[in-house]
Amino acid sequence: MSFDYVGFAIAFTTVYGIYSMLGVSLNLEYGYAGQPNFGQVLFYAIGAYVAGTIAANLLPMLAGVATGNICDVSSLVQREAIAIADPVISVSVWVLALIFSMAAGGIIGLVVSYPALRVKEEWFLSMILLVAGEMFRIFVQNTQQVGCGFNGLAGIVNPLNWIEKYFPGSQVLQAEVPSGLYAGIVLALAIACFLIAQRIGNSPYGRLLKSIRDDKVASESLGKDVSKVRKQIMIIGSIMAGLAGALYVYYIGTAVTDDYIPAVTFSIWVMMILGGYANNRGLLVGAFVITMLDRGSLVLGVLMEGWFPNFNPSLLIYARYMVESVVLILLLVFRQKGLFPETRIKTKAYTLFDFGASKAQGKKEPVTESLTEGSKQGEVQSNQVATDSSLVDSDTSGGSSRTK
Amino acid sequence: MSDEDSILALEGISRSFGGVRAVDGVSLSIKRGSIAGLIGPNGSGKSTLFNIISGVEKKNSGSIAFQGVRLDNLSPHKRFALGLGRTFQTPRLFTGMTVLENTMTGGKGQKGESPFNAPFPGRWEPQEMEIAKQAKSQMTSLEIEKLFGSHSNEISGGQMKLLQLSTVLMGRPKLLLLDEPTAGVAPRLAQDIFQSISQERVENATTFFIIEHRLQVLFRHVDTVFVMHQGRIIASGKPDEIVKKQNVIDAYLGS
Repeated sequence: MSFDYVGFAIAFTTVYGIYSMLGVSLNLEYGYAGQPNFGQVLFYAIGAYVAGTIAANLLPMLAGVATGNICDVSSLVQREAIAIADPVISVSVWVLALIFSMAAGGIIGLVVSYPALRVKEEWFLSMILLVAGEMFRIFVQNTQQVGCGFNGLAGIVNPLNWIEKYFPGSQVLQAEVPSGLYAGIVLALAIACFLIAQRIGNSPYGRLLKSIRDDKVASESLGKDVSKVRKQIMIIGSIMAGLAGALYVYYIGTAVTDDYIPAVTFSIWVMMILGGYANNRGLLVGAFVITMLDRGSLVLGVLMEGWFPNFNPSLLIYARYMVESVVLILLLVFRQKGLFPETRIKTKAYTLFDFGASKAQGKKEPVTESLTEGSKQGEVQSNQVATDSSLVDSDTSGGSSRTK
Repeated sequence: MSDEDSILALEGISRSFGGVRAVDGVSLSIKRGSIAGLIGPNGSGKSTLFNIISGVEKKNSGSIAFQGVRLDNLSPHKRFALGLGRTFQTPRLFTGMTVLENTMTGGKGQKGESPFNAPFPGRWEPQEMEIAKQAKSQMTSLEIEKLFGSHSNEISGGQMKLLQLSTVLMGRPKLLLLDEPTAGVAPRLAQDIFQSISQERVENATTFFIIEHRLQVLFRHVDTVFVMHQGRIIASGKPDEIVKKQNVIDAYLGS
């Protein structure tokens, strides 16, 4: 069996884009603002189901045909036909689906932030969100009226599938051009989320978020409205996660509850811990590794099945989670701060300061070195303090010896 | 003292933890532009009183008026906005940030602290530079400017105290509550901290209310001293009068 490189690249790009978005969202919530969201999958699932439901209802409505039961196979075939026949309806429904998914994500983010702000310990919040995500999944799984229950909501096709009619000669191009373009859009939106996160992070708002993460009481007594900011960042993160869910359901074509298990949240956490908290660039590397594991295990499973007819590909698919767990344990033991430690908040404020002068004192600009350099600095300082106190024994030695 | 002169007026403040009355009917008034000290043995309720004034802890009864405005149950961030700043006994810093970033966090009314403005540097960069300049001169006057790029958990304990002071001074508070600003600090640095406090009072007309165990250095700089014992103010007055009072000596000697 030959390996479909183009198909792999397209799938990889799409999944990478979606994972990066989820990762950037969690990084804003936890890496910057210290909100341990263990229910990231909830917002992802809500985005997916909102987008799926909107697509299934709006496509026939706008095309002027009876909607019927969106879970029926006939309805599914009808949707696919409309999506291919009418570019305008197809794309506009998709855009609406994305907007509503983001809105739904944001609203749920706001709703969950209310109990979240009332719990003293942040870890209670993580438990609440973990449970909320599972409750949503189990509720949908057992409710035929929401997302067609256990069977899932199928027939949510690529909004660009109508392009296939411009390639009547080639089945390969008919499949790869729309999905390739879609992958490009996903990647572009992921880059947009990344850039927004970078800009938010490298601004006074980034400082505000980190101040809340590091010490809420101190932040509050420096005039920061901690509750408001915690609410804001949950909304921003959830909007991004909702968008990722909508893009995913349009990519995979079906909204099924099995795609929204807690293990998804776990993967996002691993990519954030791997890349480094509050480091968006590092997060992109973490997302790359996790996408590699995700796609790699899938592809390798299929390949192995071709080579060894009795091989069960599920073995590899589940091995992915084991590898993730091992990576997580190794990180927590050997590199708690991730591969790329937190960086400075890069605003123009630093232009007033002379990095050259600090270098001469034995400090260097690269953050990776600041830990060791900083402790050297600390040693020098404490030595000096020790000398001072031995020289000046009491307060009565008169006046300040400070020179200005 | 008339109301005009008083920046902070406490009336019958009480706070109990379980059966213990940590603060028991404290009434006092701080004169605008003065430096007031709050002393007393360990566990006498000084820090609890500061927590109540700054809003970190709730009071059971009593009233607080700051510049004539009743604070009651106003949240700490609103009190800071009114001009009431504080530091903590154990420095509470933002350890994931550098010395400069910590200091700049103290800046009041930053436009870039809104998520709607943050992605557009044009909206906040001019103000950011103003705050950076203020931070630089603040850090320079406290002699921590060379540490600007160090993470706040990599500096010495004394420098942490200075950084905390530098951060809260960025908000130009009208009244600053300092909880043991020189505890665990070398004697010379303690002198320097009080020197900075006196300077700040002259330059910006800031009023200070200071909990301190180093009485010698405190008494050299304060106008009024309040002595707290078992949740109550047992004496108040000028430093040289206070040291002569028998009940103060008893409280400190534990008889």
